[in-house]
Amino acid sequence: MSAHDKKWEALTDHLKLSRRDFVFSGMAAGALTLTPRFVRAQAGMPYKIGVLLPSTGTGANYMAHAIKGLPVAIAELNKRGGLLGKHQVEMVYRDTETKPDVGAREAKSLILNDKVDAIFGTYSSAVALAVQEIVHEHKVLHFAATSNSSKITQDNFTPYTYQFCPDSNMQSGAVVVAVSRMAKKNNWKTYVSLGQDYEWGRDTHKGFTTGLAKVAPNIKEARQMWFKLGETDFTSYITAIMAAKPDFMFGAVAGKDAETFMQQAGQMGLFKRVPFPGGLIAVNDLKAQRKTLPRGIIGLARCPFFAHLKEPIMQAYIKRDRTAFGPDGYPDDWACMYYDALGGLEQGAKKAGSTSTEAIVKALKGASVETCRGKRSFRDCSNQLDVPSYVGEVWDSPDYPFPIYKPDTMILVEGHEVWTQSCEDVDKLKKKRA
Amino acid sequence: MTANAKRTGPLSRLYAKFGISGPVTPVLLAAAIGVPWLPGEFWTHVGTEVLILGLFAMSFNLLYGYMGQISFGHAAFFGVGAYATAMLFTALKGADGQIGVADFLLSLLVGPPVAALTALFVGFFCVRLTGIYFAILTLAFGELLFYIVFSWYSFTKGDDGIQGLLPPPFFQDSTNFYFFTLAIVVVAAAAMWRITESPFGYAMRTLRDNQRRAAFLGTNVRAHMLANFVIAGAFAGVAGALWGPFSRSVNPTLLGWGESGIAVFMTLIGGAGSFIGPMLGSVIYTMLQAVVKMYTVYWPLTIGTIILLIVLFAPGGILGMIDKRVQATRARDGAAEAEAAAAARAEAPRP
Amino acid sequence: MDIAPYALQLFSGLSRAMVLFLLSAGLSLIFGVMNILNFAHATLWLLSGYVTFSIFTFLGQQFGASPWMLVPAIAGAVAVMALVGFALERFLIRHTYDRELPEQLLLTFALVLILGDVIKLIWGLENRRINLGVRPIEMLDTLVNPYQFVIIGTGVAVAVGLWLFLHRTRLGKIVRAAVYSRSMVSALGIPIPKIYALVFALGVGLAALAGGVFLPLLPMALGVDLDIIVQCFAVVVIGGFGSMLGTFVASIIVGVVYSFSILFWPDGALAMIFLIVIAVLIVRPWGLFGTELRY
Repeated sequence: MSAHDKKWEALTDHLKLSRRDFVFSGMAAGALTLTPRFVRAQAGMPYKIGVLLPSTGTGANYMAHAIKGLPVAIAELNKRGGLLGKHQVEMVYRDTETKPDVGAREAKSLILNDKVDAIFGTYSSAVALAVQEIVHEHKVLHFAATSNSSKITQDNFTPYTYQFCPDSNMQSGAVVVAVSRMAKKNNWKTYVSLGQDYEWGRDTHKGFTTGLAKVAPNIKEARQMWFKLGETDFTSYITAIMAAKPDFMFGAVAGKDAETFMQQAGQMGLFKRVPFPGGLIAVNDLKAQRKTLPRGIIGLARCPFFAHLKEPIMQAYIKRDRTAFGPDGYPDDWACMYYDALGGLEQGAKKAGSTSTEAIVKALKGASVETCRGKRSFRDCSNQLDVPSYVGEVWDSPDYPFPIYKPDTMILVEGHEVWTQSCEDVDKLKKKRA
Repeated sequence: MTANAKRTGPLSRLYAKFGISGPVTPVLLAAAIGVPWLPGEFWTHVGTEVLILGLFAMSFNLLYGYMGQISFGHAAFFGVGAYATAMLFTALKGADGQIGVADFLLSLLVGPPVAALTALFVGFFCVRLTGIYFAILTLAFGELLFYIVFSWYSFTKGDDGIQGLLPPPFFQDSTNFYFFTLAIVVVAAAAMWRITESPFGYAMRTLRDNQRRAAFLGTNVRAHMLANFVIAGAFAGVAGALWGPFSRSVNPTLLGWGESGIAVFMTLIGGAGSFIGPMLGSVIYTMLQAVVKMYTVYWPLTIGTIILLIVLFAPGGILGMIDKRVQATRARDGAAEAEAAAAARAEAPRP
Repeated sequence: MDIAPYALQLFSGLSRAMVLFLLSAGLSLIFGVMNILNFAHATLWLLSGYVTFSIFTFLGQQFGASPWMLVPAIAGAVAVMALVGFALERFLIRHTYDRELPEQLLLTFALVLILGDVIKLIWGLENRRINLGVRPIEMLDTLVNPYQFVIIGTGVAVAVGLWLFLHRTRLGKIVRAAVYSRSMVSALGIPIPKIYALVFALGVGLAALAGGVFLPLLPMALGVDLDIIVQCFAVVVIGGFGSMLGTFVASIIVGVVYSFSILFWPDGALAMIFLIVIAVLIVRPWGLFGTELRY
């Protein structure tokens, strides 16, 4: 289909007319321009967001709140008139099954069949990379808020992707900061690594080991252990870790496996022998594992609500979600970041004065946006939002029925402190796109 | 009287000569040519997917319907073909991300031979077994190959997959790519047809029906099975080669048992007993999936239930059911006419 | 030489082995007697885990939370799942006995998809876990989870119990005979359909026991069945279909090999198991203790 045909189609589709009818109604529309107020009010075409998240696979557990929370946020946006006060927002959800080719296919379906204007997603970085090929080719806005491989904003960069989640480098960087401080205090010399054997795990591990080697070169990695995704029995790994008698351990473990590991390690008393700083413990883990999570361990989060209680956007967001989902309905990290993506869209449209993708892409480049984490800016060269990573101690709070990070020891490591590549390096990494 | 008139029509003649695939194939072909005229670009993409996966399913049926063995690792060859193409594509494309038409076609050509070689290696071990053990060993090898592609970061980029498989501008147009795919699939299917209707093809059917008798007749059972295994792998590689540029990326799940399961489902739905069954199964499966996923996340429940119902009530698939109906109608029209039709069918080749 | 690390790897290996045994025993038995490879075996195991969780939580709410609630929870789950197994056999699997092998395989394959979504329908997307409040104990200069003794104990008890059943009871001997020759058993006037129903229910009941026993250690989540079915197949292939002894020995081999691989070649633990499976299938397809007749 030629570009001309595509434009015809877009036009007739939005007006819900067949090609033939359009010709006749064109004359009628001409008549309507005599009453300008009428026409402008009718100009509010709905803005469609396609949400690409898994309801199957390792990520499903994590995305539950985000999937149910987005419609609530969108309803509130629509009550204010929608984008630019006149475009009601509609949401279409598709399951990626945590498979890249399914993600690519559903992205095509959303774009070509549902005619979405933007895509929010995904959970898995591998799926995100496949989806990026599609959004770039079809020139559709793509807001990422969970998948956080640095490749998304660097090697596989496309101007249409904006990243609202701290990327894997920023996250490892935060752990390096926390660990180097603790290592100095406790005189740590050796550590053992345990990682999920796939791209994110390897990437995170590399980020940590290279980062730590720079700031504390005397600390040595005694052993590296990798396990396949979906490991159900960590006992042998835990006994091996304890046998190595390291000063601390580093983990590149996320998702269901992280929960399994924490449960089994806790029951084996691993954390009494070997400190485990910086494992990913997000708000959904704190809520879900409130009975089993060992207290006092140092965790890493991406967007915990309790770190930004002073932000008015966060306050309103918490209130709304608790009204919709009950007193325990505090939003988790993933839901927060998708909420920020929606806010980013709204502000991008406002800055651009239009809902066209090209205008929003241009308006958001290097721009600052108000988020539930405060005012944040996008990095010019990679469209990465400059957001912190959060390191804290799991602690029982009197204010919540689940543990949070202890406020007085929680560290916020700013994105720009630890994004390891300079913009020059990033530009070199970016692959050339046709 | 009317029964007689029906039997001399063109579809009836095709049925008499080629079995149920006879009349169904031209209908599918006509529908295929008409797809790009449907409104919107979306259905052209769906159609391309139907064709590629249908070819994959037909290659699987060489082992299943024709040779009687079920393989749960066939996607390994589909995936290996996809990766071979993807890697050559990446090597040949220019610094600006564009690839020339000649280089693009070259990258497609490398998929099938690499898939065939892999099938030769895997088949060497698998054809020594049959039945459940064949099924499990193919599954094990499939998973092993998945594991290798998944883990070998330096060579295959691991679970990241390979992106950037954007074809040359002419092929980026979905209609052009669709007809290109259709042409390749038609040629591949024609080649498969020649193979299944050759003496080799009939040896396969003998292996399916009674391996021991085939051996007594002097057929080298292992060699024949291996040859068929390699051929099936090669055609799976053709489908895989097309998949990368179609989807614009490849990833290791293309080799896993989930993907193998897709070929099995398509074949079952369409009917393993006929040549064109798997392709019809692909039409039904792919379109069903596209529609169901618009309304619910419970796709596994849907397809699982359909497979269950087919296994219990219509194991021959859609075409199997239709074929039975046609034969039953004809039998009802009198013994003599049924006899004549049976005699005519016995002489002509039947899939 | 410090023997402690190796003893501990052995201990964790045995614990892993017993979980695998509990899960694979049912699979092996079903295939051995009925010649049905139940792809959905691990999915039934996962379903049992969720059922155990629900019963445990319910009992805790009614009678006060206590780790001992796990015992009736497991008993309840086993009963429920045995009924489910019985129903599956009676209404679905029974129709495929005289069918070709691929159709039987596809039926159980379809059940994997259906049951997986049933779990999602009933329990939703979020993971489920229970906490028994178990404290680690000191052993060999390190800490271990005492619950693993429970697992090893259960595994051994079930192994012994199965052996007694198969070798000392009349019913068990009939089941063993059916592994060797269905037609002979039938010719002796014993109703094969009843035997099949019993064996299938028993197999699923064993999987349910495995699910319940493992629940304190493993959070139940969608897709866990697919993660564990591979190891399950490995055990049954290596040990030989239909042989309980084979399943037991193979479980120990797989569990211990895996455990020690972690010390020496951590990346390759699963690859090692794969290679053993492929080697067995090539050299001796009926497994270490399987009957050659079935090949």
